[in-house]
This record gives sequence, C-alpha cells and structure tokens, in this order.
Amino acid sequence: MRAIFFFTIAIILAIIFFVPPVKGLGELAKIIFFHIPTAWTAVIAFFTSAFFAAKFLRSQNFFYDELSARAAKLGFIFVMLATISGAIFSKLTWGAFWNWDPRQTTIFVLILIYGAYLTLRAAVINEKARARVSAIYSLLSVLTVPFLVFILPRMYFSLHPSPVLNSAGNLEMDTEILIILLAAVIDATFIFYRSMKLK
Amino acid sequence: MKLSNFQLFEQIVAIVRKDFLLGMRRRASFAAMLMFSLTAVASLSLAAGGAIIDENLLAALLWVVIFFAASAGIAGTFEDEATAGTLATLKLYAAPQAVLFGKMIFTLINLAALTIFLLPIFFILFDCNVAQILLLAVTIFFGIIGISGAGTLTAALTVSATMKGGLFPILLFPVTLPIFLPAIQLTEAAFTGANFSAEFLVEMTAYDLILIIVASILYDYLD
Repeated sequence: MRAIFFFTIAIILAIIFFVPPVKGLGELAKIIFFHIPTAWTAVIAFFTSAFFAAKFLRSQNFFYDELSARAAKLGFIFVMLATISGAIFSKLTWGAFWNWDPRQTTIFVLILIYGAYLTLRAAVINEKARARVSAIYSLLSVLTVPFLVFILPRMYFSLHPSPVLNSAGNLEMDTEILIILLAAVIDATFIFYRSMKLK
Repeated sequence: MKLSNFQLFEQIVAIVRKDFLLGMRRRASFAAMLMFSLTAVASLSLAAGGAIIDENLLAALLWVVIFFAASAGIAGTFEDEATAGTLATLKLYAAPQAVLFGKMIFTLINLAALTIFLLPIFFILFDCNVAQILLLAVTIFFGIIGISGAGTLTAALTVSATMKGGLFPILLFPVTLPIFLPAIQLTEAAFTGANFSAEFLVEMTAYDLILIIVASILYDYLD
C-alpha cells in the first residue's frame, strides 16, 4: 500500500512539474492525466464485477458475490471521477461541459448501470436472492458494452480523440508524456486492485 | 425434467393463453399502461402548446413515451403472480424456459397493443406526418421485441426487491439503450422520409437476438 502511495505522489509531481502546459489550454488541461486512468479503471472494474458475477452464478460461493459488489462500488467512484474530469477537459477543449458526444453517452450509461446495480442491491434484503439477482443484472448489462463502446460510436460523429491504444496503432504523443500517462494508468489499476483486497 | 421441443412449445402457448385470459379478466395493468401513455402524450403536447416540434425531437419523445408506458405496464409481469401466490405453482408446473418465453411473448403482445393505441393519438396531437410507414412499423417492431426481451428478465429480477416503485425503469433503461439510440434515428427518418442507414436496423436486430439468448441463459440461474 505504501509503495502505491509513493508511486502516486511521484506521478502527481511529475505531472505538475515535468509535463509542459498544453498549448492554449493552460495548466488545468493536465486533468487529462487524471481522466484517462480513472476512465480506464472504471471499465476494468465493470468487467471485474461481471467476471465475479459469472463466477458466483457457477459456484454459488458468496465470496465472489462480495467481490463483484466491491468492484462495482469502486467502479462507481472511478466512473464519477472520470466523468467529472472528462467534463472539465471537454469545457477546455470543446467549450462545453457536456454535449452528448458518443463517448460521453457511453460513460453516462456506465454511471446509470453502476447506479442501477447498486440500487438493486440495496433494494433486495434476502442475501441469497440479492447475490443471484445482482449477478444476473451485472451480466445482462455487460451486453451493452460492445454496442455502446464499439458499434454505435462508429455510426455517429465524435469529437473525442481515439483511445491511446487505437486500431491504427498510431501514437500521437511525446514519449515522455506517454510514459507518465502509462504510469498513471498502471497506478490507477493498482489502486483498484489493492482496494479490492481491503477488508 | 427434460421436455421435448413440442412440449416446451405447448407450455409456452399455455402460459401466453393463461396470461391473456387473466389480463382480460383483470385489466388493471393493461389499462394503467394505456392510460399512462395517454397521459404522457397529452402532457407533452399540452406543454408544447401547438408549437412545431422538430422531427428529431418528436422521434425521441415517442420513444420516451413508449419506454415509460412499457415500464408501467410490464414491471409487474412476475410481481402480480408473486402477490397472488401463483408464481411458485407456475414454476412447479412449467419449465423455467417456458415461463420466460411465455411471459416474453405476452409482454410483446401487450406492447404491440400499446403502440397501436398510442401512435394514432401521437400523430394527431403532434400533427406529425409519416413519410415511410413501413420503416416506422419495422423500427417499432424490433424496438418492442428488445423491450420485452430485456423487460421480462428485469421484471423477474425485481420480484425479490423490497422497494418496487421506480426500480424497474432504472434497471431497464441502460440495458435497452442500444435499442433506443438507433430506433430514434430510424423513427426520425421515417417521419422525414430521409435516407437512412440500414446499419441501424442490423444493429437493433443483432442486439434483440443477443438479448433474448442471454436472457434465456441467465433466467436458468434465477431459481
């Protein structure tokens, strides 16, 4: 845990002092170093939750239900952080906090899914029923991912830059900035992983 | 208990028939759904106050009304049986898949009736022209298939919930969004008569199919 803490501090310092300010956007645009890792982790958490939901349904072991719920709760926090930081970056670059760009739609649906999942868990008191019902909902909602992330955004015009790992394999970024960004993504993933293990 | 396909089909038909007869006898949920759609369209039209509304917005409004009216109508698909105390018996007599598909088909019939009731009112109150009626019919058909597929499983999930009000639409909306987005585009094209991309129809059909298959797989884990 301490290693992750120092790693995080190091990355934050690197972003503040090492990364040059983005031309015309100012220092606040560095929030992108926060946006990409949190968005990445929110998606990882979503699949982790679904993975443990499937494991629960197969094994009926309540430990997996616990893990699935924990991943969803963490995912909800990360998706909120990603949405807010994304909206701030959007205001700086596109001039509006929100304009229902396909990617914004996708992340908003992720918020709705996490919210619905957690509401469902809160609404079912019986432990056995809650585990089963929320696992099924988790797996049902995973269905939307290929459609909302890969298929539908291609049918609409989007202003959002391609993901860092895009299909063309192009990296339009300076090496140092890319290294810091990747370090931040790894750091966020570790924070998620460690939080999954907390009692 | 392993059933042959024919036996399964017989059970599905029996469940649809049973629900239909019960629905005719106690029209409460069906009437609520129709009245909900009427109230929603009337309030929207009243609020618009005769202003001319863009086709794009009109298409979105139509699907919003369909979604919430459907939610009001099908949320109780399993709940009504649970309240009446017949759900356990139904599960005892019929195979789980027969229950799921029976309910799904009955929901689809309900939603078809809803849209047949809703559309003329919508067209009259919003003074809306339909340039491509066939496209509209196909879009609505694939749209309500998706809603009944996802809605039936979601209705089964909410039976064990203690807080019922409002839970169903919260759960249903994200899962049906991949249907609404293309459906709104296609409906707009049907209103204006503009060219439309067949990709949207393919996407909707593909999603409907996947929804039904996955609902069928997941339902087995519910009992």
